[in-house]
Amino acid sequence: MSKAIEIENFTYRYPDGTPALSDISLSVEHGRKLALIGPNGAGKSTLLLAMAGFAKGTGKVLVDGLEVNSKNLKKIRTRLGCCLENPDDQLFMPTLFDDVAFGPLNMGLEPEQIKSRVAEALATVGLAKMADKAPHHLSAGQKRAAAIATILAMSPRIITLDEPDGSLDPRNRNNLMKLLKSLPQTLIIATCNMNFAASLADRAVLLDKGRIIADGEAQKIMSDADLMTEHGLELAQRKL
Amino acid sequence: MHHAHIDKFAYQDSAIHRLDSRVKFLVVLVFTAVVISLPRTSLSILACYAIGPFAILVWAGIPLKFVFKQILLVSPFVIVLALSCPLYDRTPVAVSFGPFSWQSSLGWLRCFVILGKFIVTMLALIGLVSTTRFSDLLAGLQKLGMPKLLTIQLGFLYRYIFVLIDRAHHILQARAGRKLRNLGFKTELRTAASMLGSLFIRSIDTAEHISIAMQARGFDGNWRTLSKLKVRRCDLFFALTAAVFMSGLYFFVKPILQ
Repeated sequence: MSKAIEIENFTYRYPDGTPALSDISLSVEHGRKLALIGPNGAGKSTLLLAMAGFAKGTGKVLVDGLEVNSKNLKKIRTRLGCCLENPDDQLFMPTLFDDVAFGPLNMGLEPEQIKSRVAEALATVGLAKMADKAPHHLSAGQKRAAAIATILAMSPRIITLDEPDGSLDPRNRNNLMKLLKSLPQTLIIATCNMNFAASLADRAVLLDKGRIIADGEAQKIMSDADLMTEHGLELAQRKL
Repeated sequence: MHHAHIDKFAYQDSAIHRLDSRVKFLVVLVFTAVVISLPRTSLSILACYAIGPFAILVWAGIPLKFVFKQILLVSPFVIVLALSCPLYDRTPVAVSFGPFSWQSSLGWLRCFVILGKFIVTMLALIGLVSTTRFSDLLAGLQKLGMPKLLTIQLGFLYRYIFVLIDRAHHILQARAGRKLRNLGFKTELRTAASMLGSLFIRSIDTAEHISIAMQARGFDGNWRTLSKLKVRRCDLFFALTAAVFMSGLYFFVKPILQ
């Protein structure tokens, strides 16, 4: 059976030549919850973009057994849902319903199927009654949940989330945590928040300066004081 | 941050709110054309026309204070235009209102008619945007044949104008927090240019992220939407009532009042 993500010797440079990712090799099994941790500028977001086919470099990237190339891109994007760091970038339609329906519409589903998927996705994230709201009327926590609903409506097997806990208060962070824990999909979460990562992920990959520094059990990596300090991170204080 | 949305009351629920956006738009369009085409000297007929949008605003539960605030907000240009009339047209005319009559100039009469037409058409327009969600209005306009590209752009504009205003506000706050003395015109100008540049670059950045978000959800250049609009009997009844009101005033009341 194919793995959720398989990356072999992937290297990527920004358009100005600055190296972003160097010789990355990584494989993630289906159903795992993986935390990509590292300081700012480590290359976490770029690696997530590479998985979705937005950062083309050298090496091989496979998503659910499909190589990331222009031929497979459409299939890949129905299997891998990509949630950006800022929900305002993710929610671009005039109403929440339209936003959540955007992906299923592009998948060519029938109107009734689309309506049921939108209703289901919004119910999963607790926004069932907000379908007709404009995104700018939502709170930060609701926007984050809505951004996840836009992905869930496409029923992907893999979901990547870039700093999903950013600018959330503790209550909203806990709600998001419960939601993410309840999802059966493979989750790849890029975050600088060690408490968030430790409570959610079973595996962690530490990135710094575009390279994989450590890869293993989340609790073990995030409780290694020397490793964390050396790479500008902090120890996970508690498992939420 | 909280913003003054033009469709602030469009999320309420009333019989007017539930009407199809296309019907409301077409009624307002025809109403505006009829009001504009009224003679330049008939104030009393204008007052009769004002009853229509006024009744709709009251029925829909739109606070009149909000309506008049919106009118005031866009009025300066029209006020300047209207006040220029008495300056170039001083032809004396006899004006009568019920039992009262007095001498005035044609310029003043035109000034009041321009203001009257502006207020009446604005009442109708505010009635439309206050009882119709912007998204429904856009969907309706698209159904009525407005180019898709234009509706998409208007949709994006409405979605991101508030994000842009927030960013501009934060930049201004950051400047105010560090600006401890007057720096002179040239420096202020340079600072303003840098702020605008920063806003521009961040807008491009946002556009790139939106493009990624769209492509990640299968966007291939074809804009697909799920239309929820439906013309029902009540919509047809509303259109018919509006047509009877407008034509009744135009063909029967106007000749009596003129």
